[in-house]
Amino acid sequence: MKVTAQPHDTTLTLILDGELDASSAVVLDTELNKPDLLTYQKVLIDCQRLSYISSAGLGVFISHLQRLQDSQVKLVFYNMQEKVFNVFEILGLDSLMTIVPSEQEAQAA
Amino acid sequence: MPNFRHAAWLLVVAGLCWLMLLLGSLSQGRAVLGLPPDWPRWLLLAAQGGFAASIFLYARLQPEALRGHGFIAVLRRLFWRGLVLTAGLVALLALERLRAARVLALPGNSLSATTYTISLGLFILLLAQTLYSWRALVSFRSSGKLRREWLAFELLLGATLLLQLIPWQLPDFLQVGSMLALGVFGVYLSGHQRWVAYLSQGQKAQAIFLQLGVLAFLLVFLQYLRGAQTNSLLLVPPTQQAFLVLASFFAVFYAVAGLLVTLFNLPIADVYEQRRAEILSLQQLSQIIQRGQTAPEIYHALFTSAVQTIRANAAWLDAQLQPTDQAGPLPAPLAHELTEADLAAMRPQLAALLSDEKTEFIDNDLLRSQRFAGLSRPYRSAAVLALRSPTHDYGVLVLLKDELGGFDPEDLSILHTFTTQTVLSLENLQLAQEARVSQRAQDELRIAALVQERLIPKHLPTDNWFEISTYAQAAKEVGGDFYDFLHLPGQRLAVLIGDVSGKGVTAAFHTAQMKGIFHALMQPNPLAKKDRDRYPDPHRFMVLANEALTHCLERSSFITASFYLIDYEAGGFSFARAGHCHTLYYHSIKEEVSYFRSEGLGLGILRDDSYGRHVKNQFWDYNPGDVMVIYTDGIPEARNGEGDEYGEERLARMLEQCFYQSAEEINQYIRHDVQEFSKGLPLHDDQTLLVIKFKASQPQV
Repeated sequence: MKVTAQPHDTTLTLILDGELDASSAVVLDTELNKPDLLTYQKVLIDCQRLSYISSAGLGVFISHLQRLQDSQVKLVFYNMQEKVFNVFEILGLDSLMTIVPSEQEAQAA
Repeated sequence: MPNFRHAAWLLVVAGLCWLMLLLGSLSQGRAVLGLPPDWPRWLLLAAQGGFAASIFLYARLQPEALRGHGFIAVLRRLFWRGLVLTAGLVALLALERLRAARVLALPGNSLSATTYTISLGLFILLLAQTLYSWRALVSFRSSGKLRREWLAFELLLGATLLLQLIPWQLPDFLQVGSMLALGVFGVYLSGHQRWVAYLSQGQKAQAIFLQLGVLAFLLVFLQYLRGAQTNSLLLVPPTQQAFLVLASFFAVFYAVAGLLVTLFNLPIADVYEQRRAEILSLQQLSQIIQRGQTAPEIYHALFTSAVQTIRANAAWLDAQLQPTDQAGPLPAPLAHELTEADLAAMRPQLAALLSDEKTEFIDNDLLRSQRFAGLSRPYRSAAVLALRSPTHDYGVLVLLKDELGGFDPEDLSILHTFTTQTVLSLENLQLAQEARVSQRAQDELRIAALVQERLIPKHLPTDNWFEISTYAQAAKEVGGDFYDFLHLPGQRLAVLIGDVSGKGVTAAFHTAQMKGIFHALMQPNPLAKKDRDRYPDPHRFMVLANEALTHCLERSSFITASFYLIDYEAGGFSFARAGHCHTLYYHSIKEEVSYFRSEGLGLGILRDDSYGRHVKNQFWDYNPGDVMVIYTDGIPEARNGEGDEYGEERLARMLEQCFYQSAEEINQYIRHDVQEFSKGLPLHDDQTLLVIKFKASQPQV
């Protein structure tokens, strides 16, 4: 699992690459815990290369959801593979989080 | 002491023989105690031989003088005994002198004979002591061959005693020849001075002194006896020449040889000693490893061993470069003859030296190289060794000496052995600690698994209206799957299935919590007016459970669950899904398999009132023959060797193939297929599978 951060003006893009399980969840959590994250208006999560997400991986997003909402930072997922989207959907997260098909829509959201 | 009786008996014989010898000596030219004068020569020889033989046998039967490496103790005992015996001789001679000078008026001219006889006795005692002390030294670490040779030597010496008693004389050349041969034999035996190598420097000096003493005593006796032999005033019986000469020759020669060996050993003694110190230090180090002590103790052992063995004037062991994950407190730096200021001055210079790959080196001219400048004393030589393993730096050892060229490659190799040993033991220590930690974690997991095992209902609800079959398989680690049943009044059954995020002890803990919440919420509400309202409907159940979990679930954890309230009298059920896997259903009338795809958010994700909007209550009227398959994500997410997932579609296809069978058979059929799919792979996640098959309502029997 690799997390690449690409800051761009008011937007921070995190590119997830690999499987997000209990061990790699820590890497993502560190990235999301950075205080300057809250200075952005939007945090985009590029899921194109995210091949698997475990409950621990989901837990990381869930634990940061409230904090980002309180600071009015928008969290947007895009390019999600169907398998991964299924996991979000079953858990009911698709109704809580913004998940869009493409980068353009993510930028517009 | 089995030999004591014989030994004591020998002393009695020796005493009698000596008395006879004394009387025989006194009988020269006169009658003694009414016995005839001038006893026959053979009788005196026999008395003398008997005395010598019994004294030597007595000494021989004494317990082995040498215990372990107590060479000095052997020599010291011999020295003191020799001193006492010699003192006796000197006292006797002094008495005789005094009488000769007429200072003392002693009766008769029998005094010389008495003195001589006593002296001879003392000499034989000394000789026996010396001979058997030498035997102890010769046989140290000896082979069986050498012990046989020694026995032969003793037997030959004994034979010379007997020879004297034979009335006829051997031809001269034979006598001289055998004497010479035996002498050579003694010289050969004197070559066995192996014990000298085991003496330390100080012990060698002592050994030389003690051997000189023993030699001196022997020579004093020999001098006297030689004089006595030719003393015309003394009318003495012939002595056991051959035996005594040979024995004294051997005693003296062995002492001289030992003395020389010890003397020539002195210059190289410190090398042996250093080797010995090294071996001892290594032993100490390896003992510490075996006892698995703390890191500071290991460092201390290395430090003292290194300083003592190398004899450094100053030294420093800096453990500052320790890896941070090393358990236990960081040991304080160990310093010998160095001040705090010295250490502060050396640290940056050391760090610079060790920055490259070099881990050990010697600098034998510090003044010229200007290394370690700024020390309070001008040291001339330094040896530096880094304590490094492939993964960690454990510190650095610095030894300093005053003199130029203080360290040689030999020193470095010894120190290298020490440091490798130390690094090894530190690594072992770390491994042992890790093993302990992981052992504890394993124990905890075992307990958690046990807790979870107990949480799974052992008794399935039975009724004529439905069949239930369950299957649960935990992955290696403790997972968070759970399910439970509860019979409610009015022919209703509550079914709960769920999965706690995360694994291990926390998951087991939350599982137990969820089960508690289930049982608490399923208590009848006494205020409810209608019977149906006594228990929360599935939607309300989820809202209440979510609220309860808000207070005890950490922010990143959540629980997925499905809750079913089956009313088998009415032939329907209501259910709600909170992020849990969709329920698979076989519809017997439509002959169709499908999933109940409903919305529903996992528990613990939203922690405010808004949660209720994200979960829905649904109703379904079932028909006889309908089958409900409830499971956790371990089933559809089971993987095969290629990494493919089992999937919901395959699961649905399975139910299409087996819906007509009993609940237990359906369960087994699906389970078997999942296992075939992921054959040979370890279980990725917990798997739970519940099958409920509805039957046509039947009157209760």
